[in-house]
Amino acid sequence: MDKLLKTDLTQGLLDNAVYDTVVKNHVQKLSDLLKKNSADIIIHGQYFLELLNPSINSLSYLAVLHTLLIPGVATTIPRETLLEKLVLFLLTFDPVQCRYAGHYLQEVFHLAGSSDLLPPSAGVEVLAIAILRLDPTGSMLTTSHIYLARLAYNTNTIEPALQVIEKSIVFFPGMANPTEPRYLCDRDLPPSAYISKETGLTGILKSTNVMEYDMLCGLMYCSRRDWAKAHVAFERIVSFPTREGGVSKVMVEAYKKWVLVGLLSQGRLADPPGYTSASATKYYGSLAKAYTTLAVLFVADDAQELKAEAEKSASVWADDGNTSLVREVLAAYQKWRVLGLERVYSKISLPEIRRQTTSAETGQPLAGDDDVEMLLQNMIISGMLSGVIEKNDDGTAFLTFLSPSARMSEQDVARELAASAGRLKQLQPLFKATRDRLGTSKEYVRYAIKEKRAEKNNEPDPTFSFDVQVDDEDLMGGVIATG
Amino acid sequence: MASDQHLLTYFTTMDNQGGIIVRDAPKLDLDLYISNYQGRTRFERLLLIGQCSVPLCVDALKAAIAEAKSGKDIERYRDAWECIRIAAPNEPEAIFDQAWVTATEKANKAETHRLEAELKGYKNNLVKESIRIGHRDLGEHLESIGDLNAASETYIKMRPDASTQAHIQDVGKHIISIMLQKGDWAGVSGNVNKVLINMSSEQQNADQPYHKIVSGIALLGSGKFYEAAKCFLETGDSTVAQQYNNIINLNDIATYGGILALASMDRLELQSRVLDNSSFRTYLELEPHVRKAVTMFVNGRYSSCLEILESYRADYLLDIYLQKHVSALFSMIRSKCIIQYFVPFSCVTLDTMSAAFAKPGESFEAELVSMVKSGALNARINTIDRLLVAVSVNPRAAMQKKALDAAKNYEKEALERIRRMSLASAGLEVKGSHKASALGGSGSLPGVGDIWYDNSRTQPASGESVA
Repeated sequence: MDKLLKTDLTQGLLDNAVYDTVVKNHVQKLSDLLKKNSADIIIHGQYFLELLNPSINSLSYLAVLHTLLIPGVATTIPRETLLEKLVLFLLTFDPVQCRYAGHYLQEVFHLAGSSDLLPPSAGVEVLAIAILRLDPTGSMLTTSHIYLARLAYNTNTIEPALQVIEKSIVFFPGMANPTEPRYLCDRDLPPSAYISKETGLTGILKSTNVMEYDMLCGLMYCSRRDWAKAHVAFERIVSFPTREGGVSKVMVEAYKKWVLVGLLSQGRLADPPGYTSASATKYYGSLAKAYTTLAVLFVADDAQELKAEAEKSASVWADDGNTSLVREVLAAYQKWRVLGLERVYSKISLPEIRRQTTSAETGQPLAGDDDVEMLLQNMIISGMLSGVIEKNDDGTAFLTFLSPSARMSEQDVARELAASAGRLKQLQPLFKATRDRLGTSKEYVRYAIKEKRAEKNNEPDPTFSFDVQVDDEDLMGGVIATG
Repeated sequence: MASDQHLLTYFTTMDNQGGIIVRDAPKLDLDLYISNYQGRTRFERLLLIGQCSVPLCVDALKAAIAEAKSGKDIERYRDAWECIRIAAPNEPEAIFDQAWVTATEKANKAETHRLEAELKGYKNNLVKESIRIGHRDLGEHLESIGDLNAASETYIKMRPDASTQAHIQDVGKHIISIMLQKGDWAGVSGNVNKVLINMSSEQQNADQPYHKIVSGIALLGSGKFYEAAKCFLETGDSTVAQQYNNIINLNDIATYGGILALASMDRLELQSRVLDNSSFRTYLELEPHVRKAVTMFVNGRYSSCLEILESYRADYLLDIYLQKHVSALFSMIRSKCIIQYFVPFSCVTLDTMSAAFAKPGESFEAELVSMVKSGALNARINTIDRLLVAVSVNPRAAMQKKALDAAKNYEKEALERIRRMSLASAGLEVKGSHKASALGGSGSLPGVGDIWYDNSRTQPASGESVA
């Protein structure tokens, strides 16, 4: 038994085909072993865990861990040691090996992500690392992602989860026309090929799950006050594809938050992206009226009216759980007013700023020029405002707005451009995966044949020329009579 | 004293109804002014002055009553009387002339009957030309008694019997005249084009003044100042235009053309289209102050230009077609002056600017702020050194920013598209209720692919049948 478990399964230089059979064999033997000898494994659990190296004998280690932990902790090993081993495994397992035992791996992931075995801070971190070990691109949504997001948001341990939630998700389980991978161990496979319900590395997701994930991401960014990212996350839900005029409640809720966060990050109410479904837009308009009203007032000059509106609809905000966001919006109002001055002034004294902008929290101008200075300092430090506060000879402090070209040096631009180009290159594998998957689908092939045939038929287009002639005749005829 | 009181109540009601009230005395002389016009427009103009101008109110209303009584339109008499009754109840015109009204009403009715009967006769005889004339006479009568809708209907009936180009134009002109009176600007433009389509270029040249005048008024009415200006500037032969003083007179053409051009054209265009325009010069000679204002603007003496215009504001406000647009036009000209003034500088002190432009009692800075805000003036205000600073454009930086934005957008859009494709292919869209899909008439789950497939199948088939 030791020997079997300790089989070295590092791929090394092995050919994919050979390795594939080796691993499959091993998995077969392992499952036989688990069926017959699971009692022995439980008794000698600690011994096996010490014996095996999780990065080399990942499958065996996974098997042992799984037996010990699932369905319940069934061992005499001290809890601390056991958890240590679990963490060790999640941090170092060989992702390629484990593709062959997806169901087991997923169950262990969920154990780490949902139970109270691990303290949340450790659980979130370990699970996040494990998810990215399995799929370094992080571009495919799995059930583990959802567990991670729930755990991170509910326990407010957001920092360690960021590495996962910042990746852009473009693939989802259950996509049509999956290409059966030839060798599961192929390192060049796109994540959508080896993460599926069939390999057990993810469960099935529903549209509500997808939206829940984006919602949780948005909320996490909100609690970090990263309004721009939260805006993007909510926007994903707002523009969620729909069919036959469908709209879900989550989308409306997301729209409300999207409006508020948009005010915070962009200072105005943006139009939803063009691909937002028309029926959803209609619902948003009627169901989120209070929010759009607020947004309209946010860009106007009357702080008191904004404040009054915010107070009038207080129960609406409370019902939707958006009270604190609305408070943020009111606090941000004056900052955006100051930014608006940039479009008119190049230099302006602090007393003038105080006269021209009002705080929406109190509905009054700030009490003194010191308060204005403090507000401006905060804005400059946070990077919201690019300007400097200077003092005149006669002691009046004033704000100088810096021109946009002065903000970025040539080197910065070059760096930004290079980074952007790099990111675009990284899209290439995603394109390829999508093209491969869609290009071989039945519908596309059918369509391509049609196109080709139509091309042949249409060369001298008889319909077109015929129509033109008819129109011509009409033009010559009836004008006088109808005019 | 008492008459002042009456005027006050009169203008308060006018103000409440949303009318424009002109307190300053205009430069025009009422009698001279109205003698330049003919036809129904005379009454309209008099009534407008009576309703708007404080100094000319009573005189204008009296003239309006006289004008109405010389015609056959009872409604007009009533309108003018309603006004003068409040404004100047002590004048002899304020007594309602019931006898005239009854007599005119009777005469109008009889005339209508006579014409209708005549027309019936023509129709029985089936002589096309007579029917056309009959309709025209009836229409003209109806127009003169103020029944515009019936008149326009009658004019339209002339159309089937119009056999020559000249007849068709005649119909068009009659209809346009009604539409001008009703203020149906879109209708006027449409009819002008209709008439123009069927004309040879020779006729078009001959009729150019009319078309330009009418479409100019229509464009002005719908607020398209630049196009309107072009129309007036291209009016052409003034002796022909003179005939249309039942619509506007030559002085008006000069004023409209000049002011609209000032508001909507840049300096180069003003020079070439207005000042160097030989045919328009004849008009400008009639209104030398307009010519002067344009010259001032072109020569960069903006404050004098504004001064001249300002001194004629009251006159413009009493013009039936210009009235509504005066304030918009003036503010356009004003902001253009400010922008032009600033063009050669990278930096101007606020004090010099307000010396040139500030109106007494109004804050010039606030105006500047609103202009900068709206983007009309590409500059920033420096309140510390009291400067207006032009925004320097750095094309290199702008290009770099554009490149970065483009890359960012591309990335965002590419990801979003892949995401949506994946969502669709995983069947994760939010679906409408079953009820909705049942109403749609298709099966329980109509795959988009299937619908598309059916459509594409029928297409080649229909193509074959046509071939």
